[in-house]
Order: sequence, then structure tokens, then C-alpha cells
Amino acid sequence: MTTEATLAAPKKGLELGMMKNTLLALLIDTFLWGYVALVSYKIIYEKIILALRYPEFSWGQPVYALVIGAIITLPLFFTKCSIGRATRGLYELDENKPIFKEAFTIFGVFIILLTFVAGLLISQVSVREFLSDSGLAGARRIFVSLFQPNLKILDQAIFAAVETIYMAFIATAIALPFAFILGFFAARNLMEGSRIGMMIYTVNRFFLNLTRSIEPLVWAIIFSVWVGIGPFAGMLALMIHSISSLAKLYSEQIENISNGPIEAITATGAHPIQVIWYGVVPQIVLPYLSFTIYRWDINVRMATVIGLVGGGGIGTMLMQYQGLAKWNEVGLLVIVIASVVWIMDYGSSKIRAAIK
Amino acid sequence: MLEVTDLQKVYPNGTHALKGVTFSVEKGEFLVIIGLSGSGKSTMLRCLNRLHDPTSGSVKFNDIEVTTLRGQKIRNVRSDIGMIFQHFNLIPRKSVLTNVLSGSLGRQGIWKSVLGIWPEEEKQKAYEYINIVGLEGREHHRADNLSGGQQQRVAIARALMQNPKILLADEPVASLDPATSHSVMEYLKKVNEKLGVTIICNLHFLSLVREYASRVIALKGGKLIYEGDPSEIDQEWFERIYGEEAKEVTIN
Repeated sequence: MTTEATLAAPKKGLELGMMKNTLLALLIDTFLWGYVALVSYKIIYEKIILALRYPEFSWGQPVYALVIGAIITLPLFFTKCSIGRATRGLYELDENKPIFKEAFTIFGVFIILLTFVAGLLISQVSVREFLSDSGLAGARRIFVSLFQPNLKILDQAIFAAVETIYMAFIATAIALPFAFILGFFAARNLMEGSRIGMMIYTVNRFFLNLTRSIEPLVWAIIFSVWVGIGPFAGMLALMIHSISSLAKLYSEQIENISNGPIEAITATGAHPIQVIWYGVVPQIVLPYLSFTIYRWDINVRMATVIGLVGGGGIGTMLMQYQGLAKWNEVGLLVIVIASVVWIMDYGSSKIRAAIK
Repeated sequence: MLEVTDLQKVYPNGTHALKGVTFSVEKGEFLVIIGLSGSGKSTMLRCLNRLHDPTSGSVKFNDIEVTTLRGQKIRNVRSDIGMIFQHFNLIPRKSVLTNVLSGSLGRQGIWKSVLGIWPEEEKQKAYEYINIVGLEGREHHRADNLSGGQQQRVAIARALMQNPKILLADEPVASLDPATSHSVMEYLKKVNEKLGVTIICNLHFLSLVREYASRVIALKGGKLIYEGDPSEIDQEWFERIYGEEAKEVTIN
């Protein structure tokens, strides 16, 4: 490469970057002003002036809002109000002027306030209902019975809690080998050597992120249709979620290990599988164990929630009594659940501290 | 035995670590490479056994071109070349014995070694090498609980387990105290003289170089600037290798 070429290249890149930044800033501004227009219309006009309880939604509104946003943006883009330009670093700021006095900061605060007001209206926050006489009386009734738990169903409740713990354990145990293997394929430092490696890495990461972003509750609904309502469906839901969460934690652990032993084992002429077994695995066993125990702990808590949608165990029992408005029984179940969670939490933190 | 011709290495981030290095090593030599940190010494060693892939140039080991080998063939070459490191790079949480045995991985079946099954004769050999480096009785201690000097000796035993024809040593004493440094260097000398293993070693201290090297090459900015007898490095050469400001520090 000649000297001129090396000098010209970054300059060209700089111009291109500048154009990209300006375009991005314009888009950000258009979006923000569109948002302001839409929310103002919905809140001020429909909610307050027309006092609609459930304002209608149509796809036309956000499109109009964006057009309005673009129209507002065009003149204001060149003033000090542009958040887009501020976040893309296109303003030359006066260092003596505090940043919260800048026009774009004030505009930003305005957007947050607008969102806050909209949030209040959408959540239907009402102090009147919170403090109404009949409401308070109902709350008192429930709290009183919650504190008078029905001990008659204690053994039944403990049995259900044990079911939940075992379900969580099996979900963790079955997830473990899958996560163990997938973890290697999701570790950047092991996979970036070749193009095929990177491809496997990307696809693997994509599916792990996808399965992890679907809540266990949703998986439980899917599996209760698939295999029928009960502990098995709950176990499958926890397992799927555990595989992707554990694989991600494992792979991050692999990415943090020291390269030294890997180099040393490679230098002996060992096969890649031997390099992983002798250079990588000894460095990760203990953190893996710690993550896995913690996951079991999380799974017990999640199993309770999953039980609410029919995943079996103590959660299902809780839902049944709650549906019958038997608050004394619910009170007992809450105590049992809290104890189990506390014991699991305490035990798992003790074990994890011991193997550090 | 080893012929390096016009070796170049450019890292993906653009660092030009080696700018055409040529030298050769005869059987039985104790070759020492000196130079400032960042002069390319470590990269040099790692290109010889392909822990790093050189960008261009050639490395011939017993007339085999190493730079283009792949898969099992490069693993065979690696198993003929032992290596020890500044930070020892032992397997953490494993015993001295397992660490030494891991030197023989190149000739073990994959699945047997994963299950931790080692042939009896390999175990005998491992005990022997642990004896040679003076660590008898520590076979079942955890390697990462040993002192620095002892860890480096475990690393030497691991390298010997390979039956190496060449031993690469990447600043083997840089994280050890002076007394331990000499003891480790003595072991390398023993390996060189008694077992006839050729040694290529990166070093910082010229006093060690004069005592142990049979020949010296010096790298500066990725280029070879000196090649010769260790006793011939005078003040002028010292300043040329390490810069005019440098003062020699001795280690006794």
C-alpha cells in the first residue's frame, strides 16, 4: 500500500462515518418527535378531552405521527434541540455550560415526563380505588385469613413442595449435559479459529438467545398442550430454559479462562478434544458446579410460578385454593413456599461458597 | 535440524511482529534468543511449533516444511517439540503426575485419555522424569500449590514426557527469583547435555545468557540483528540490542 492510499483511506472512512451519523441522528429525531406527537394526541385528546377508557388503535396513527415527526424535525434539526445529533456526538459542546441546561437535555426530560404521565393513565392508577372502604375491607379479610393458615393441609402441601423440588432437580439434571456441550460451541474464543466454527457459534448463539427470551411460563403453556397438564410439562419448560441459560453462563466462563494451559497442551501435540479436556475443563468445573446449583435454586422458584399455569407441584395447588377463595389454605401454602425458597437459597449459597 | 527462512508474522490487528527472520539450529545446541519485550521473541517461538501461524516464510524441522502442515501431521511435529512457558501453564487443580502425563497426550488414544486411563509404562516414565527434576514424593500433590520453581520443573518434566527433539523455552525464568532461576537453568542445561535435547530459549538476563548459551541470536523490532557467540556481546552490541539508555543488570 502506498503512503497516499493509507492516508486517503481513513479520510474517506471518516466522511462516510459522518454521513452515517447524520442520517442516524435524523432518524432518531424523527422517531422522537413522532413519539411526542402520537403520545400527546393519545393522552391529551383521547384520554383527557374525550375521556375514553380504551382508546382505539389503528396502524394509521403511528404512520401519521412519524410524518409529523419528520416535519417537526426538519427545522429543529439545526437548532440545539436535536437529541439525535447530541447522542451521535455531532454537537460541539461548550464545556462551561452545564449539560442539563442544554436544549436537547430539556427536550429529553420532557419526553421522560410525557412517558411517565402516559404510564400513569395506561396503568389506570387510582388512589381512590386503592383506599376505598370496600377495597380495604376485602384486603383486611384476606390478610387476616392468610395469617391463620390451615394446618390440616400441611402434609399435602409439603408433599407438593417436594414434588416441585424434584421436578426442578430433574429439569436441571437433564439440562446439564446439553448445556455442557452447547456451552463449548457458544464460546467465542474456542470457535473463532475457523469460518465453520464461527458459523456454528452464530447459529448456536441465536437459538440459545431465542429459547432464553421465551419465558418458562410460556414454555409451560406450550408443553401442557403437548404432553398434557402436569409436572412433566413444567419440567420440560424449566429444562428448555435451563439449557439455554446454563449454556450461556458456561460459555461466558469458557471465554474468561486463561489461555496458558490451552497453549501448553496444544504444544504437546494433543488432539483438539484432548486440549479441551485437559486445557479447558479443569479450569471450568468449579464455576460450572456453582452455576448449576444456583440454577436448581432458581428452578425451584420458577417451578412454583409454572405450577400456576398447571405445571404441577405446589404452584398448581396454590392456584386451585386461590380459585376457590380458600384464603386460610393459601396462607399455609405461601408459608411453605417461602420456607422452601429460603432453605434452597441458604443451602445453595452455602454450597457455592464452600466450593469456591 | 531446524531451518527458519525469511519468517514474517503480521497479527490480525496489524502488528508486524516478525519482519523476515532467518537462522538455523544444529542438533545439540543451546540457542538463546535475546531482545527487548515486544521484539518478537515469543512470537518467534510460537511460529516454530505453529501455536501461531506465520504469515510467510518457511520453517523446516528435519527437512519437513512445518508452515503448511495441518491436522494430525502438525500434531506429530508438535509432539516432537517440547515447550515451557514464563507462567508455567500447568493444568490447575490437577496432580503433578497428571500434569507430567499430559505431555504424552500426542501418542495417547483420545477417548482413553479423556477417561484418564494411562498405560503403565507411561506412568513409569512420568515417575522417572519427576525424579529427574527432583520432585520425587510430590507426584500426587496439586501442581498449582507448588512454588514457582517447582512448577517450572513440573513443566520441564511434562515437556520431557514428549521425548522432544527440541525444547522451546519462552522466558522460563522471568517470573522466578535469582536463585530459583539458576536452578531451573541448571535443569535445562542437564536436559541439553545429558539427554541431548536441542534447546531454543528466550532470555532477558545477559549473565544467564553468557553462562548457559552455546550460541545467541538477538531480535530487535522483529528483525535479527545479531548472531554469534555469547562471549562476544560487548558494550556496543548491548547498546545496539537494548537501546543506548540501557544498563546491564546482573543476576547471580
